[in-house]
Amino acid sequence: MSRVLSDVKGFGKQYLRSKVGAFFGFAFPILLVLLFGAIFTAGGDQKVTLPIQNLDDGAESQAFIEALNGTGLVKIDTIPADADIDDYISEHSLTLALLIPSTFSQDVQTILSTNGSGTANVTLYGDVSQSTFGTAQAAVETAIVGMNYYLSNAKPVIGMNPPKTVKEGLKYMDFFLPGVVGITVMTNSLFSMSSLCGEYRQRSYFKLLATTKLRKYEWLTSKFIFYSMMLLASLLTTFAVAKLAFNIESSLTPLALLLIPVGAFIFVSMGMLLGVVVKDPESSVAIANAIGFPMMFLSGSFFPISSFPGFLQTVAAVLPLTYFNNGLRDTMVYGNNVSCLVNLGVLLVLGAIFFVLASRLMSWTER
Amino acid sequence: MAETIVDVKDLTKKYPPNIMAVDGVSFSITKGRIFSLLGPNGAGKTTTVEILEGLRVQTSGEVRVLGVDATKDYASIRQRVGVLPQNFEPFDELKPWEAIEYWAGLYDRKLSKKEVKNLLEIVGLADRMNSISKKLSGGEKRKLGIALSLINEPELLFLDEPTTGLDPKARRDIWHLTQEISKKGTTVLLTTHYLDEAERLADDVAIMHKGKIVARGSPQELIARHGKMTMIVISGAGSEALREIRRRGIEATEEDGEVLVPVKDPSEMRVIFQKLSGIELKAKDMYTRRQTLEDVFLNLVGAKMEEGVLKP
Repeated sequence: MSRVLSDVKGFGKQYLRSKVGAFFGFAFPILLVLLFGAIFTAGGDQKVTLPIQNLDDGAESQAFIEALNGTGLVKIDTIPADADIDDYISEHSLTLALLIPSTFSQDVQTILSTNGSGTANVTLYGDVSQSTFGTAQAAVETAIVGMNYYLSNAKPVIGMNPPKTVKEGLKYMDFFLPGVVGITVMTNSLFSMSSLCGEYRQRSYFKLLATTKLRKYEWLTSKFIFYSMMLLASLLTTFAVAKLAFNIESSLTPLALLLIPVGAFIFVSMGMLLGVVVKDPESSVAIANAIGFPMMFLSGSFFPISSFPGFLQTVAAVLPLTYFNNGLRDTMVYGNNVSCLVNLGVLLVLGAIFFVLASRLMSWTER
Repeated sequence: MAETIVDVKDLTKKYPPNIMAVDGVSFSITKGRIFSLLGPNGAGKTTTVEILEGLRVQTSGEVRVLGVDATKDYASIRQRVGVLPQNFEPFDELKPWEAIEYWAGLYDRKLSKKEVKNLLEIVGLADRMNSISKKLSGGEKRKLGIALSLINEPELLFLDEPTTGLDPKARRDIWHLTQEISKKGTTVLLTTHYLDEAERLADDVAIMHKGKIVARGSPQELIARHGKMTMIVISGAGSEALREIRRRGIEATEEDGEVLVPVKDPSEMRVIFQKLSGIELKAKDMYTRRQTLEDVFLNLVGAKMEEGVLKP
């Protein structure tokens, strides 16, 4: 045990003194929390700017624009009536625009007076892949429905109460913090272990260690202990910053603290496995990045997995970080300890598989 | 009879597909000696040493280190052996005293501050004990490596090319340190491609070439056996002087404008100088040149060696 502790101490000093280690261990999660917290909790104008070219000077088109304003979703901007809308969009790099044709009011009046079957249409220009398009489309559709009710003298029967958050008092940061912790646990353990194995092989440190009394399993254990301690300190620091800066409601539970060493266990083992299987240090780092970065985004660290397309939800279900993030949210945000324990169990099984494989394949000597 | 510390018999190591890195090497090292494996890069020195250090497994042959089979039972002698690997680089972010404390822990040892300082004084790093290792010079880094290899007070110390890439002063410092370590009774196995290093340090030299030992003995024995005799060098004398010297019955040759007069027996030296003093030579300089391991190596391998690379 004294050899393990010596290695924890020696390796720990090196890691924390290296600028990369200190940055990814502590500065990175704090930066993420402060940055995303500032973006998503500072309020500000959430409306989408919608430039409108109104070629019609009738009362109906004015009423329609007022109805759009009334949705609270868009901020109206004006495109001059004499401009060609396609050229204007191109010249001003617009991602959204609405065209109200010159016959809009006249068409509305004609349909109403003749009880005709057609509609007076507006045209929404935009990039359907952007979220702002969805907001603008919702605003336009809401305004159309509202005007149709008004013009046809009908009244809505079904409505919706003002939205409520899932748990009273929770803020965006409460949902985001476990994701930041998950990213921190993964980047520190996975990325640094894969590059560490490459560096140790390149600098002959493994050979040097093999000449001491330290055994391979002791070295692996020391890395697990160090990363667990460092990541626990990182969690406490990041949690304190989030609490102070954004007054988050989620709590630091014993299960959350237990999840940290379990996360370190699985990602340290994964990093070692990569570093052992891929002999070239640069390749192992590249592969760790190729695995780690998609995992960061697909495991629900930033966005809820339920918003992903079906096939990406399937991918997310096989990523270890998904179980880590879910487990942490279960216990810290929802207080659902049973679900957290299920996630923790999955992580332990996966971690054990990676650990056994890494320790079996790792060799300090050469054949 | 002196105790045998290392005993190697018919050692071979073959790498895929069919590279014979070590080809039937045999040697033994007796206690307290500095033994040098000398040869160019790729001669098989490091492979041989790493087999002795328990870091590689041989294809065939027997290797006994400190009385045990190094292939099967190296763990039992780990505490008694020190290793400085080739191209040693210390852990960048640790200070020398921290590195020593850390490394001692890996041998189940807890050194006092005084013991750490003593060790750093031995290797000449006491005044740099608080510098971050990555800021040490190349020579200081190797000295730190040697300090680490001495932590367990080894009976046998492996130094694998300890001075490669160092400046002359740092090399001389490491030589001095190696001699001091040897004086305390530690057996040293030194691999090097520097002929002057082997000649200066080693009691016993094995010249390795293409996986084989091509010569073995003390530097003096090797020079006597494989070198040429001492030469009187008459620099800048030219062909006219050569003819005049030969006319006086003195054997001589000319190489690069220098007239070389071989002295087969040291007792002939006085007679030859007397004969030469009677000739009016227009020479720039006249001196005697003792044969070195460099001449031995050239004779045995047929090429010179510069920084580990053979030059025809």
